[in-house]
Amino acid sequence: MIAGGLAGSLGAMLGIGGGIVLVPALVLLFDIPLEEAVPASLMCVVANSCAAAAGYVHNRLSDIRLGLTLELSTVLGAIAGGLVAAMVAPAMVAVVFGLFTLYVALQMLLVRAPRQEPATLDDYAPTNYPLGISGSFVAGGLSALLGVGGGPLKVPLMSYGMRVPFKVASATSNLMIGVTGAASVAAYALRGHLKLALVSPLVVGVLGGAYVGSMLMPKVPTSVLKKLFALVLLVVASQMLWKGGAGLWPNMLK
Amino acid sequence: MMADARVTHNVVVPAVEQPLAPEMEAEPITQPGVEVAPVGRARRRDRAVAGDRWIARVLRAGAVVSGGMFVVSLGLEALPQSENVHVAIDLLRKGAASLLLVTPVARLAVAGTLLGLKGEWRYTVIAAGVLGLLGIAVSAGLPT
Repeated sequence: MIAGGLAGSLGAMLGIGGGIVLVPALVLLFDIPLEEAVPASLMCVVANSCAAAAGYVHNRLSDIRLGLTLELSTVLGAIAGGLVAAMVAPAMVAVVFGLFTLYVALQMLLVRAPRQEPATLDDYAPTNYPLGISGSFVAGGLSALLGVGGGPLKVPLMSYGMRVPFKVASATSNLMIGVTGAASVAAYALRGHLKLALVSPLVVGVLGGAYVGSMLMPKVPTSVLKKLFALVLLVVASQMLWKGGAGLWPNMLK
Repeated sequence: MMADARVTHNVVVPAVEQPLAPEMEAEPITQPGVEVAPVGRARRRDRAVAGDRWIARVLRAGAVVSGGMFVVSLGLEALPQSENVHVAIDLLRKGAASLLLVTPVARLAVAGTLLGLKGEWRYTVIAAGVLGLLGIAVSAGLPT
């Protein structure tokens, strides 16, 4: 429950779902097999999305129209990724994705953003839709190929590529990950891989953590959130490079 | 220093509050372009806020009810174990998990419907497309 709470608050604040905390915690600390940890973590991503996005939508921090548009291309990308999975080498894709994530993380950590971010949804208009849509397509494809969640890619894409305020980008990402997460859990559940005895305490912790995280997020300075996000990206990058390099690293993220 | 000044043709003219003629102040403005636009904008904004609140309600209800069911199932584990308790725990957990999985899908359907009712049919089509693609992906066993 504590691991769920931590994952929930971090996931809610950054729009990444929380699988990055939960899967390693379940596998390394609780000796849960990976094939049970991944669907449980995905269920927590759905819980996180529902609990946190409720507050974000109520406060008009999530951009529903942008979310819908990018969701469509993400799902298309995921289906395309699933179809071509047999034709590409996942290790090579993992290395490329790892290097890209490392670049984005270092840029977020080391380069100061030149523009001032508006605080609310009303003060901006997303730009560069072609980049956003194609980037979401790639994010969906990577999610299917590598098992990474879309959040670590979609938040920088919206924030830097589409000039969406960082907090709106993470709130919108939070809204989006629930739908794709639910579809993935449904696929696992149909195969009998969802263990509800494991899921129950995790979801309770995640719901509490997500509520706290969604309360905290609007109050935390954007610069702090960006630094936290960059650290998460560094973890994702190292996992992807490890996975790509060794070709053995388990499917850790969603 | 120059806060209350207007610049016209390179000449600084002090700003003077020009009071409206008494008849203008007394009578309501009836010119359509003057009044209807802000009211229409405010009404659209109110409808958008109401729509967002519905979406938030769907998400919150799903999270709270399924979370409550999971909590009750955890509480039942503390009771002396019997067949009935096991069945109740199993039913509660299956119900909670199903409700949690349906919630984001319901959110998508509600968002598409509400935006369609506001005349933004493009997003209704997008939401329907997402739901259809997810259905195909799940039934085909493709990862999303």
